[in-house]
Amino acid sequence: MSESLDALELRIAELRAQVRRAVKARDNTLARSLRGDLRRAEQAWDRAVGAGEPESPQEREAPLLPVREQVHQALALLGVPSAVRMIVAVNDAFFSGALRGPQLTSLRRDEERSFRGDPYARPYYLCAALTDRLSPARGLLADSTWEPERRVLGPLSPRVDFLVSAMRVADRLVRMTDPPQGARRLLRRMAQNIPGAVEGLAPADPETTIRAARAELEVHHAADVAQRAEVAARAGRQLSDAERLFGAVALSTLRGAS
Amino acid sequence: MNGRLDRLRGPVPSRPHDARAIAALAANPGCARRALLDAAGVDKDRTARHLGFPAPFGQSQFAITRGNSFETVVKENGCAELLRLLRELLKLPVAEVGYQDVESVGAHLRHSHTRALVDRAAREDGPAVFYDHPLLSLRIAGHVCYLEPDVVAFQVEGRFHIVEIKSFSVIDGQAEPRKVAAAARQAAVYVLALRALLADLGHAEERVSHEVVLVCPENFANQPTAALVDVRRQLAVLRRQLTRLTRVDTLLDGLPEGLTFDLAPGQDGVPTRPAGEVAEALSRVPARYAPDCLSTCDMCMFCRDEARESGATDLLGRQVRDELGGVSSVAEALGLAEGTLEPAEGQEEIARLLRLAERLREECLR
Ligand code: SF4
Repeated sequence: MSESLDALELRIAELRAQVRRAVKARDNTLARSLRGDLRRAEQAWDRAVGAGEPESPQEREAPLLPVREQVHQALALLGVPSAVRMIVAVNDAFFSGALRGPQLTSLRRDEERSFRGDPYARPYYLCAALTDRLSPARGLLADSTWEPERRVLGPLSPRVDFLVSAMRVADRLVRMTDPPQGARRLLRRMAQNIPGAVEGLAPADPETTIRAARAELEVHHAADVAQRAEVAARAGRQLSDAERLFGAVALSTLRGAS
Repeated sequence: MNGRLDRLRGPVPSRPHDARAIAALAANPGCARRALLDAAGVDKDRTARHLGFPAPFGQSQFAITRGNSFETVVKENGCAELLRLLRELLKLPVAEVGYQDVESVGAHLRHSHTRALVDRAAREDGPAVFYDHPLLSLRIAGHVCYLEPDVVAFQVEGRFHIVEIKSFSVIDGQAEPRKVAAAARQAAVYVLALRALLADLGHAEERVSHEVVLVCPENFANQPTAALVDVRRQLAVLRRQLTRLTRVDTLLDGLPEGLTFDLAPGQDGVPTRPAGEVAEALSRVPARYAPDCLSTCDMCMFCRDEARESGATDLLGRQVRDELGGVSSVAEALGLAEGTLEPAEGQEEIARLLRLAERLREECLR
């Protein structure tokens, strides 16, 4: 990070005051150039505050795929229900790098509308992961073609899915001859939260990461499989097709009202 | 008594307390003005604005975005960062990784769901679980306040821990003591609320640890680090202060019957009562201004101004004020030091010290 958040915040506040003064003094040229500085400082702040979020979109090639397909691509690599930030990070590390978080905010809703309007018309839908209450898990996206057990969550699933996704990111790196820097950084970030995967400040080794993640996975695996099977079975019995993909919001609301 | 408190507040709904407000109660336990305003549910922020003394704080949009973003980093990927920290800090065994988002039931059921989950965890001694977005409650002066701790962690050796995520930095192992103190006070409110819940469910209160986990970014990067903070003292102060709130009758004694802090808002909600009148009403209730008020109480600018006007020793900070016990104003202290004022009964000792200090000062200046 080039400048600390504190320094940037000070600068932004200062620039805002200068812009105001320039506008008041009707100095349009100065105001315009100050606004440019302000915008850049604000962008730097956005990047710094979301440390780990992708940098400098302009230098990349134009995106080749529509947003939903880019998301699908990242999900296919991760293999588990994932948060928007992780999807964006994977896109940035391995693919176009053009995906932005805000582009994904209404995605799930749009997909649901499309499914309800014309069910199964598309080869896949970007859908929700279901909690043990069968409601959609906050902020997670999944692939409708995955088997139901993979699209539901028990209490251990967030950890299990994190370990699986770390293994898949590592596996992708193993198979690349010259993995990009961003991809190594992503692996390093994930690996440092897995016991035994990295030593101190050293870069993460994909093979070691896979081994360490698998070792912890062993501990949770059986219980997680059983819990997920139970939730998936319940979802299969109680929910309509659309709800099985997008969650039963109405159900819990109704229960609460009664 | 509630009738009298309602009259103090005027015909507006009582303002609910959030954890920040409750924590601030513990910041200046000696202040009767604050205790009374809070017991009556008076909107202190509005009152201070109307008096022309708005408080200098209120979180900037920057701070809020920054805080939320850091919280996301700590909680994402099934609390992966938090798990690493707790494994280091509390020796959490590898098998304990459960995660429950209490909010998955919908906002209106969060409180009862929190209750059910905590009850189940306490009963079954089940595996460790992070409860994300829990909703606790606490009765303050007859009103129920809802509180949202960042995360409740369960369980390391059968105990619950409150996890407080703050975005101020820890640099070389050091954080700003004032901010840590504020975080500790706030976390103590959550500990109290969780203990109340356990007691209500028939479990032992002590199962909620008095050590809270404070998570902060380290060295300007967004990399989280964690420390255990003992909040026993904050809990004790808070308890005392809360009982005091329920015993406001003693504070009400000696106040004029018709006293009210009502701002008399008109149709459009804008206060119509002359500011001078409200200030006059407030001055009937003794305050105990300390520089700490500047970061904890909405009334701070008003009380500081008042303390200045009267030359109160409070202005010099709590420590000096306490050392000058029995001497109420700066003028009086100077008079005693210079010998132009005869010490009253009980002031002999402090007068002797002040004269000694004055002599030493004279000698140094010579
Ligand atoms: S600012 Fe005034 S009312 Fe608030 S705690 Fe301090 S002295 Fe009491």
